[in-house]
Amino acid sequence: MAGGITFTAVESTKLAPAEIFGKTIAELGSSDPTIVCLSPDLATSTKMGDFLAKYPDRFFNVGIAEQNMIGIAAGMAKAGLKPFASCFSVFASLRALDQLHTDVCYQNVNVKIIATHGGTSFGQAGSTHHAIEDIGVVRTMVNLTVICPADGMETANAVRAAASTPGPFYIRINRGFDNVVYNSSDYGFEVGKAVEMVDGTDITLIACGSCVYQAMQAASILKFDHKLSARVLNMHTIKPIDREAVLKAVRETRKLVTIEDHTIVGGLGSAVAEVIVEGGKACLLRKLGIPDKWSPIGLHEDLLAHHEIDAEGIVKNVLEVMKQDIEKDEDWGDEV
Amino acid sequence: MAKTVVTTQSDRYATGIFLYSAVPLIKVICESEPQFGDKFKGKSFVFQVSAKDSEAEGTGKLATHFVINDGVWTTFPGVVHEKPDVELAFPSLRKFVVFFSGKGMPLPKIKGLFKFGLLIPLLGPLLRMAKLMQSKDKPTLLSDQIMLCKLFLYLLPSGISRLNKMGHPDVKAVTETSPDRAYALIIENYPDLQSWIRVKGGKSMSGRGEYKRCKPFLAMKFKDPSLALDILMSKADMVKYIELGNLFVDGAPEFAGTVGALMFKVAYYAQGQYLDVEK
Repeated sequence: MAGGITFTAVESTKLAPAEIFGKTIAELGSSDPTIVCLSPDLATSTKMGDFLAKYPDRFFNVGIAEQNMIGIAAGMAKAGLKPFASCFSVFASLRALDQLHTDVCYQNVNVKIIATHGGTSFGQAGSTHHAIEDIGVVRTMVNLTVICPADGMETANAVRAAASTPGPFYIRINRGFDNVVYNSSDYGFEVGKAVEMVDGTDITLIACGSCVYQAMQAASILKFDHKLSARVLNMHTIKPIDREAVLKAVRETRKLVTIEDHTIVGGLGSAVAEVIVEGGKACLLRKLGIPDKWSPIGLHEDLLAHHEIDAEGIVKNVLEVMKQDIEKDEDWGDEV
Repeated sequence: MAKTVVTTQSDRYATGIFLYSAVPLIKVICESEPQFGDKFKGKSFVFQVSAKDSEAEGTGKLATHFVINDGVWTTFPGVVHEKPDVELAFPSLRKFVVFFSGKGMPLPKIKGLFKFGLLIPLLGPLLRMAKLMQSKDKPTLLSDQIMLCKLFLYLLPSGISRLNKMGHPDVKAVTETSPDRAYALIIENYPDLQSWIRVKGGKSMSGRGEYKRCKPFLAMKFKDPSLALDILMSKADMVKYIELGNLFVDGAPEFAGTVGALMFKVAYYAQGQYLDVEK
């Protein structure tokens, strides 16, 4: 039994990302009759109720059968529709992986997957419901755009971008409420372009999903308590990743920390590392996330703290990284 | 009975700045201005500036020397050459500082006085440097402004770094607590007119040109050489110039005051202000 609420319930005056997805897709449905929605009997959990109420003939409950849902969505896309299929991230990326691989990505069809309950946001449901490998898995899929929005407003932007861009999308959002990063959707969201939330020169924090808020809090603590200047990048698009922003961060700060609610293997940190090694400039990179272990079971906020991907954990790690040297035998002579 | 002048710690800081940061600027003048540099073509010799110091081990003096090889200058800051061809040898650190700060003219002993072919070309860049750096007023010619900016920009970070390496407590207080950071001085649209200092955990290094390792933690960007000299020669208020857009502080403006204080510290020694204060 899942139960419980997440810590972000303090933001209950705002809508949860999944709810904003539901509102957004219902709104898009009015102007685009090709949009259809599919759910494996999770319409309530994935907040598709508004769409179902407005367009009952364009909503398909396929039953508890995620694999079928993805296969059906691929067929609908081949027939000219624009299916939005929503289910828990752990099932969209793992159980339905073959359908995602062969039916959607190989065919390069216009299927949009809204993967809810990402990372450890459904922490109390146990390890079977923790989606901590999904980004690592799905970013290997050819043709697939992978987005992990920071909050509700960014979820709305990601859904709109997916609706207006041909090809398959995987949008990973959390269960429950996220801390609010954006009060408006008007901040220049662009697929594949990171958003610089805070400028800084000592170190760059690259985060995605709910960790963006944590990184911004950490930057504030670092500034006021430790006199450190931390840049924060919201790397909402994991694939295609914003290479330019990563390389600029390497050039300008030389020290980077990635923060993600995901295993440190294969996710955002790995994607950033791939860019760095091709860039040819030495730097320090620390990947924060869930280590190569099963996460404990618990509320999201407790798990973020446990894995040091909350603000305090990020600060602790940044202070350690700041003490590390990049080049060991530096020449400290003055130029004459 | 001759008055004995005790060498103070301030004399040592000032000497350090002159030997490691100011005297090496002779090479900069020769490399920047052909009317001086061309006179060394075809000439190969060693030129040294030194000051006697009873605490100096071995030779009993501190020095910086240049090896000029067919007009190409190589600087050896803080290194004594045992047999220079031409040497300006001061009898004490204090007299060395007084001479180079423009506070007086205690003439040095000149080794190679009769090697006119070497000595006379050396007077040109020496006088050029003295005239520019000891002037109270901003030069009117743009070429002079550019040269003076270059000398100031190369001197200041190097001087701060030298004070740090000598353990100056005020400078150490800044560097020892600092993470790996660079502070840059930039005059926009003049790629040569840039310099920087990098500090990390008590260590420091200075350099010229663009800082390429990473984005400077703080960059003071002056609009042009004339406006830069207003600040560098203390003719204008830094805050006012920031307001007017004559100076742009890029990065961490709250640290501009720290950098300014360190630059004033270099000026305190390089202009011999301490000689008046610490009488």
